[in-house]
Amino acid sequence: MNAWHIAVRGAKNAVAQLLATLATAFGLFWLGWILWTTLHNGFASINLALFTQMTPPPGETGGLLNAFVGSALMSGLGVLIGAPIGVLAGTYLAEYGRGAWFGEVIRFVNDILLSAPSIVLGLFVYTLVVARVGHFSALAGSLSLALIVLPVVVRTTDEMLRLVPTQMREAALSLGVPQWKVTTQVLYRASLPGIVTGILLALARISGETAPLLFTALNNQYWTTDLSAPMANVPVVIFQYAMSPYDNWHSLAWAGAFFLTVFVLLVGLAARAIVSRHRMTHD
Amino acid sequence: MTDLAQAFTMNETSPAVADMDVRRDLRPMPKLKLSTHGLEFHYGRARALHDVQLDVAEKRVTALIGPSGCGKSTLLRVFNRIYALYPGQVARGEVLLDGMDILTPDYPLALLRSKVGMVFQKPVPFPMTIFENVAYGIRHHERLSKADMAVRVESALRQAALWDEVKDKLRQSALGLSGGQQQRLCIARAVALRPEVLLLDEPTSALDPISTSRIEQLIDELKRDFTIVIVTHNMQQAARVSDYTAFMYLGDLVEQDTTETIFSNPSKRQTEDYITGRFG
Amino acid sequence: MSVVTLPVPTRVAGDTADRGFRWLATGAALLVLVALVAAAGSMLWGGRAAFEKFGFGFLVSRTWDPVAHEFGALIPIYGTLVTALIAILIAVPVSFGIAMFLTEIAPKWMRGAIGAAVELLAAIPSIIYGMWGLFVLVPALAEHVYPWVDAHLGSWPLVGVLFSGPPLGLGMLTAGLVLAIMIIPFIASVMREVFLTVPGRLKESAYALGSTRWEVVWDVVLPYTRSAVVGGIFLGLGRALGETMAVTFVLGNSHDLTASLLMPGNSIAATIANEFTEADSPMYRSSLIALGFVLFLVTFVVLAAARLMLRRLARQEGNR
Repeated sequence: MNAWHIAVRGAKNAVAQLLATLATAFGLFWLGWILWTTLHNGFASINLALFTQMTPPPGETGGLLNAFVGSALMSGLGVLIGAPIGVLAGTYLAEYGRGAWFGEVIRFVNDILLSAPSIVLGLFVYTLVVARVGHFSALAGSLSLALIVLPVVVRTTDEMLRLVPTQMREAALSLGVPQWKVTTQVLYRASLPGIVTGILLALARISGETAPLLFTALNNQYWTTDLSAPMANVPVVIFQYAMSPYDNWHSLAWAGAFFLTVFVLLVGLAARAIVSRHRMTHD
Repeated sequence: MTDLAQAFTMNETSPAVADMDVRRDLRPMPKLKLSTHGLEFHYGRARALHDVQLDVAEKRVTALIGPSGCGKSTLLRVFNRIYALYPGQVARGEVLLDGMDILTPDYPLALLRSKVGMVFQKPVPFPMTIFENVAYGIRHHERLSKADMAVRVESALRQAALWDEVKDKLRQSALGLSGGQQQRLCIARAVALRPEVLLLDEPTSALDPISTSRIEQLIDELKRDFTIVIVTHNMQQAARVSDYTAFMYLGDLVEQDTTETIFSNPSKRQTEDYITGRFG
Repeated sequence: MSVVTLPVPTRVAGDTADRGFRWLATGAALLVLVALVAAAGSMLWGGRAAFEKFGFGFLVSRTWDPVAHEFGALIPIYGTLVTALIAILIAVPVSFGIAMFLTEIAPKWMRGAIGAAVELLAAIPSIIYGMWGLFVLVPALAEHVYPWVDAHLGSWPLVGVLFSGPPLGLGMLTAGLVLAIMIIPFIASVMREVFLTVPGRLKESAYALGSTRWEVVWDVVLPYTRSAVVGGIFLGLGRALGETMAVTFVLGNSHDLTASLLMPGNSIAATIANEFTEADSPMYRSSLIALGFVLFLVTFVVLAAARLMLRRLARQEGNR
């Protein structure tokens, strides 16, 4: 092998490593810029009124209280509807569906649902509920959010339950305990941190979802907790206000974006913390 | 007559017997707790056990030995029908516990498992407190007052030689115990149900030598109250703890006899080859 | 003492509860299937008026006339495909670089932190991307980058037409860029996970023969993980095709077909998001839902392909 060859290989390697490092810097650059912008612009718009007043008409001052409450309500309801079904379906996949063709079909369908465009799910709920009933509603909004929560929880529950060693299942069964009790009393307990993490990640995800709410819950300028009426929510408010030509609406949109980002990051951190603490006590 | 029965019915006064170093408690003939007749086992289409005829004596330790893949674990797992968890695993034939066939669908699993307990190779404490681990199985079968439960749990932990080490931390998570302690906890968990038979599937293979010898001592004490069947890949362990040994090879029960006989004077060539380390 | 009697052929209470629980779990699993099928079905149903009226022509017609009730999907489809393509062209090499950096180049202490930072990009809601895109990126591009692009690249033969036009800042290139940033973390994390499954001894033997880091990645890691890498790319593509908010803010929402990437365009998701609540006729709504169905179909195919390829590597691994 002659020296020229080796030099060329060395050069290629150096260039490749440089490009890879630059690529990483590239990615981090955008992350930094986006976070900085959001925190900077958002912070500038923070004031107490955000939490005490409702969304205002253009040109007037106001807050985001109804949007915060609406988002909390609909996200909460979405998780309440989607998570239990998700845990049960995930249980099916891990405990009864392993190897069975039906289980494989469900896994496939779940994977598709997981990455499906959320706007499609919004249209679905629109056709199913809103078009039938004749008006937008927070319930429809919660339903579309539940459809996004569902596949996330199914997948995490399936994976977490499969991580529990088979011998634990067998040990519980060999005590004469029936299968369903083994699942609910032993297996769920063993995989609880993982399942909770999955639910938290689903929560973080739906908090920022706009598209499905556009056709289901729409928006509401006023305060309401009526689930059968349109309800204000942070993402749609941000959308509407940001696309408008009004300055005060813009600053409210930034404030909303700020809190949304902080919330999502905090939930993500909590999810990570649960996973790492669980890992520490079990290795 | 099975090999074992033959061993038992040897005339005490025959010179062969008088000269043998027979353990005193092998006379008179012990009752059969478990016995299998024509037992076949399939994993899907693959056959793992072929026409197995095993006899297990009451309140004695019977060891199942043989090279990997011989079917010893499979055979053990028939006794509490734990294989029923997996579709495609099928056992055919007869398995008698105190004279009743446990393979028939009529024999309730919960009942079977309250009579036949199992301890696994890897210690698997439940993600609960030490107390809860032991109480868990009991709760499902009996309704005991708090005081009675506490007594039961303590007695089980004492039987497993774990009480002194955990009596002050019953409310702590079982996951904080060492490997050897966790395995003894699993034994306590199993004996807490007051079963009649204990199945031990390579109970010490994941443990250090000190824990291993503690558990072997434990087995010697436990056989006063329970019939024990132990699977082990460690021949020396089988020789140390068991009264009877059955040697298996590729799904067949090749030979079963008293442990003395198997290890010093086996009748089958295969057994001798395995014992002397020619294979396996 | 336990209350046990001779075994009798009775159904114990535990049995019914066992079957009940199993039914519950199966029902929930069935619901997942029903949800997907119903979603597809409802859109097909909702869009049937449009499909019946326009037939296959729907897919290739440029018209978008709410007044005359004439709709065609060509422009949204074109925009969706082009922005997704731009996103992939940018994201794939960058993700590959990041994956290589995180698995081969970065010192151990850095890997966790940088990996977490990259994951952070994925956690940011798409509407934030949209806002940042509109208020920060678009003006920046309009002032500093696009004029340059227009002036220099716009005059090249053939390719030039792609880069000419007034530097509005909004447009398909911008949307493609924002999408790229959004899908980089997805593709990068799949690649990284998959790179880490390459057995250490395989890489060690290559290093022992004197291979450089680059050669190990290119000649050993990549071929080993090939199908999963492609799967990850398809996953990112699926995401890019279906993304709504980030694109809606910066695409410009115009119903004109232009060759230039600097000009505004439209995507399926953006069209639906912008116009659905304003749709004032059944045919209008039906056309939008029909668009949704087309999007669903396309993403379904892409995601199914992605899954197939990711599973192939997993199965290969399982056989070792």
